[in-house]
Amino acid sequence: MKKHCTSRIGMATVVLLLSLSLFAQGTKEEVKAAGPTSVELWYGAAITEAGPPPADWVGFKVIKDKLNIDLKLTALPSNENDQDVKIQAAAAANNLPDLFMVRRDVLSRLVPQGLVAPVDDLYAKMPVRTADHYDAVSQNHARINGKSYGLADPGSINMNEGLLIRKDWLDNLGLAVPTTTDELLAVMRAFTFNDPDKNGKNDTWGYGAFQEINNFEAWPGRRLEPLFGAFGVDGTWSLKESEAGLNVLKGEFYDAMVFLKKIVDEGIMDPNWLSYKKDDFRAAWKQGRFGIMREQNAAFAAQANYAPFDKNFPEGNWIVIDPPKGPTGKASIGPYTANYRIYAISAKAAKEGKADKIAALLEWMASDEGYYLLGWGVEGVNYTKDADGIPVAKGLADPNLAFSAPGGQTVTQLRNMVFYNGDIELYARYPLYVTETSKKEMSALTVMREMQTKAWTAQIGSDTLPIPNADLKRFYEQGLSEFITGKRVLNPANWAKWIDEFKKLGGQEWNDKGVAFAKENNLLTR
Amino acid sequence: MANSLEKKRSSQLVRDIRRHKSVYLLLLFPLTYYILFRYVPIFNGQIAFRDFMALDGILGSKWIGLKHFKTFTHSYYFWELLRNTLMYSVGKLLFSLPLAIILAITIYECNKPFLRKIVQTLAYLPHFLSWVIMYGILLALLAPGDGIINDVIKLFGGKPLDFLTNTDAFPWIVILSDAWKEMGWSAIIFIAALMGIDPSLFEAALVEGANSWQRVRYITLPSILPVIVIVVLLRLGTILDAGFNQIFMLYSTPVLSVADIIDTWVYRQGLLEFQFGLATAVGLFKGFIGMFLILGSNRLVRRFGGSSLF
Amino acid sequence: MKKTTGYRRVGNTSVAIKPTKADHSFNFLVDFFLAVLLVIIAVPLWSTITLSFRPNDYIGNNLQGMFLAPWNWSFAAYKALLGNQGFILAFKNSILILIGGVATSLLLTIPLAYVLSITTLPGRKFLNLLIVVPYVFNVGMIPSYLLVTHLGLIDHLAAIFLPGAISTYNCLIMRSFFEGLPNELKESARIDGATEIQVLIRVILPLSKAIIMTIGLFYGVSFWNDFFHAMLYLNDNSLQPLPILLRNILMASGMNEYVEVNAFGDAPIAAIKAASVFMSAIPMVIAYPFIQKYFTKGTLLGSVKG
Repeated sequence: MKKHCTSRIGMATVVLLLSLSLFAQGTKEEVKAAGPTSVELWYGAAITEAGPPPADWVGFKVIKDKLNIDLKLTALPSNENDQDVKIQAAAAANNLPDLFMVRRDVLSRLVPQGLVAPVDDLYAKMPVRTADHYDAVSQNHARINGKSYGLADPGSINMNEGLLIRKDWLDNLGLAVPTTTDELLAVMRAFTFNDPDKNGKNDTWGYGAFQEINNFEAWPGRRLEPLFGAFGVDGTWSLKESEAGLNVLKGEFYDAMVFLKKIVDEGIMDPNWLSYKKDDFRAAWKQGRFGIMREQNAAFAAQANYAPFDKNFPEGNWIVIDPPKGPTGKASIGPYTANYRIYAISAKAAKEGKADKIAALLEWMASDEGYYLLGWGVEGVNYTKDADGIPVAKGLADPNLAFSAPGGQTVTQLRNMVFYNGDIELYARYPLYVTETSKKEMSALTVMREMQTKAWTAQIGSDTLPIPNADLKRFYEQGLSEFITGKRVLNPANWAKWIDEFKKLGGQEWNDKGVAFAKENNLLTR
Repeated sequence: MANSLEKKRSSQLVRDIRRHKSVYLLLLFPLTYYILFRYVPIFNGQIAFRDFMALDGILGSKWIGLKHFKTFTHSYYFWELLRNTLMYSVGKLLFSLPLAIILAITIYECNKPFLRKIVQTLAYLPHFLSWVIMYGILLALLAPGDGIINDVIKLFGGKPLDFLTNTDAFPWIVILSDAWKEMGWSAIIFIAALMGIDPSLFEAALVEGANSWQRVRYITLPSILPVIVIVVLLRLGTILDAGFNQIFMLYSTPVLSVADIIDTWVYRQGLLEFQFGLATAVGLFKGFIGMFLILGSNRLVRRFGGSSLF
Repeated sequence: MKKTTGYRRVGNTSVAIKPTKADHSFNFLVDFFLAVLLVIIAVPLWSTITLSFRPNDYIGNNLQGMFLAPWNWSFAAYKALLGNQGFILAFKNSILILIGGVATSLLLTIPLAYVLSITTLPGRKFLNLLIVVPYVFNVGMIPSYLLVTHLGLIDHLAAIFLPGAISTYNCLIMRSFFEGLPNELKESARIDGATEIQVLIRVILPLSKAIIMTIGLFYGVSFWNDFFHAMLYLNDNSLQPLPILLRNILMASGMNEYVEVNAFGDAPIAAIKAASVFMSAIPMVIAYPFIQKYFTKGTLLGSVKG
């Protein structure tokens, strides 16, 4: 009896299931609205923790009146992985918005799916914007199979990081600024063992870092590049014509590993570096835990970021120094490439004939009206202009609505669509100020200008090179870090064995593909 | 003869159905839900066997058979991933679950109202501390530079330990911190179960002269056993879920050999690289193992006469 | 009252007994276990609380911060959070999701759990299998995403709770509670001619407040904290619930650009993160005492005998 019934219910379920799955496969109908063209934009918020522009934001009205565009905004999640997931999910359902910000890795996977429209013919339609935003390198950045699939807007400015040292600690100990790796070691030892802050406690270290890894700054990542630069192996790749290829395969990389291991074993680097996340690292230097680090200009010197350090250590003084020279005289803060934020147009939008409208929108954003409205808000409400025409947050009726205050930040969320690192915005972003406690005059801009004069390794395009699959990537990162923690013994024999295994697992293929790609795209330097 | 038996059967069925007429009304919405929101996605899950192309849709994508499954099982780290995943899920099952049960029973048995109330009110709260926050706390406790535990070790002249980046210590940290965070939350369901115990059973036990230990052993535990069994069976069904959020937050490159689990691998390999077919294939792989375990242990439970899932 | 005898709480009643040596050791261990546990649990809670009050210029790690005197506490994090544009809107959206989600879930789960608990039901085994299969086979994000898109649920708050409206886990737990209810009650109602719906409403529900509250709580917490589906299915910024806002705050430093701006003014980012944790625990903290009320009352006593 039971079986009988079970099978009947089963049959009914199967029938229901099939009929439902049929309609689940149905496609959504596209309804074309009359009147203004609607443009759906998924943007990367400038200040993720502040909210989106309010519904009554004046920008919506201006864009509708001037361009006949009904702009629909969606802020992408504030975390890169989340962004990737959201965009790829929408892509899987062929539901991408008309215009969206996307990382190059993800874009390169959407293009073969036929989901993204080429933008080559749009540059000519946006003369002003193209002049400001899209130079030849930019137009090449998102080139896949010969076509440009994304508008690469300038991201953070090149070489905006530097090697910093606590000058006050050096003075306390009567030491000079280190110029070589040997001197650096000596200073790190003194910073660790000789109580540089004279607080009577053994609570300081020489170097501070955390693992910050990306495509062109593989393990140990950005914060330690100055150490590897001394051996000429900073960054994932070498793009020098004579020695192009993965740095890890070079003999000097082993020397750099030995150097790093020495620092770690001697205990002169903050031992928390393997466990720190970005926030922990940034909290740590503000608490005076270490005396040497690589840090970004604004993360170090902007008013809000420097204030806690200034309050804790009014006598404290970080200075930007040259990267230390290694045994063969090499030195580099690290590799740098042109940083871009890519905005792509979905194939769906292009098919609906929206590409020209989107070009008009972007071109308008590059006009003075769009530039100031999206970058700083409404003059007199969110900003005023000083004598040099630089937007400042002074003389406003409601200071909370200033572009830099929580109330005004929401109207500048789209600023990274208009900014191109021009002088006006750099002055506005990094104003000169006087620190609260120590009354020092500081500016993240002067710090940055100084950082840019130091030795760097030019690697334009190194972030577009092929990336390894997840297994190979893990093998690489895990192996190197195990050599440093001591789980693997670092000696030439073990190293050679590990390199062999790495090559076998696909490392050699990765290397060869990368070199071929670099040659093909003229990325190699002399 | 056969005919009359058949007739008898079907009339029995008709009686049963008639008797449960209103049951089918009760089932209407829940079953619709299951078919629409659970079985349609499973139908869509065939992308595990296809080279999914968004524009072609699911049915239009090329059938590639078991290729995605092979990508997974042929991964350089496949066996290690499997081992790590099982280590954490079984570890948590054997460690956190008994702790949660003990916590529920002790709260139930405690005869100091103040202590009982305050524990019951606070115990579940760590569940709300996200792993981001828990990581901050673990770092403050365990960091090699200035963690409290290492400060104590240094005080006694020892050498500081790198708990969070040490392959021997890391698994313990995962299992213990999970218990720390989730024990109180998991206990709620057992506390709810304990409330259903008929107090007259205790009176009877007292009359028979049973002491507290015997009471727990012969009344309390057996009364919540059905719930424990259901919870264990259900957790066996998802045995290859080892706690993605926790591991993803806690792991770092030096401990990958003991920290990488199936879900973190899929996240890096599949979800972040538009390989949804692969992600779904791994989901099905996990499902087959879970189904096997759930059916097997269900049969075992039935053999011993316990309350089972099916 | 003599010293050797006392009224001791046993289960939900007080009974006069003479505690033996074994009872004493049992009680001691119970108290000891709970006391140790209290300390272990209080540490992360208290450190998170103090973290949320930490001033910007504090030196020391999370645990040292636990001993910061209250008069040095800073409320900047809470001020910044509550002053955040969109906080009220996000809170409202979250409440809507919570109410809609818990109501839908309970309305769907209770009947299903009850039907599955009827041991004489034809096809019961098949039904159980039917709901366990999707629980075990998790086909991942995209198959569900495609369905939600085709149903047109994108940018509807219902997209957050409808796809997960019945949790098989919760349903089977509830079933096992219903099964534990004394059979005589149901049978006598059935003999009186009640339909199953009437049995459910008149007999089962009044006896199952504790478990319904508990399962409702489980649903509520999962909907309240659901960040992932909100991220996937809601594009309209005015629909975004609290977890999205909080996640944006938690992950704010993940991006490398515009590090010069800080939407929180004087509050350190660690304090903001800690304060946001308490925001996510709000409904639970409010609801739990009410639910506990049902936990301490005997659920079955009386009804069986009466």
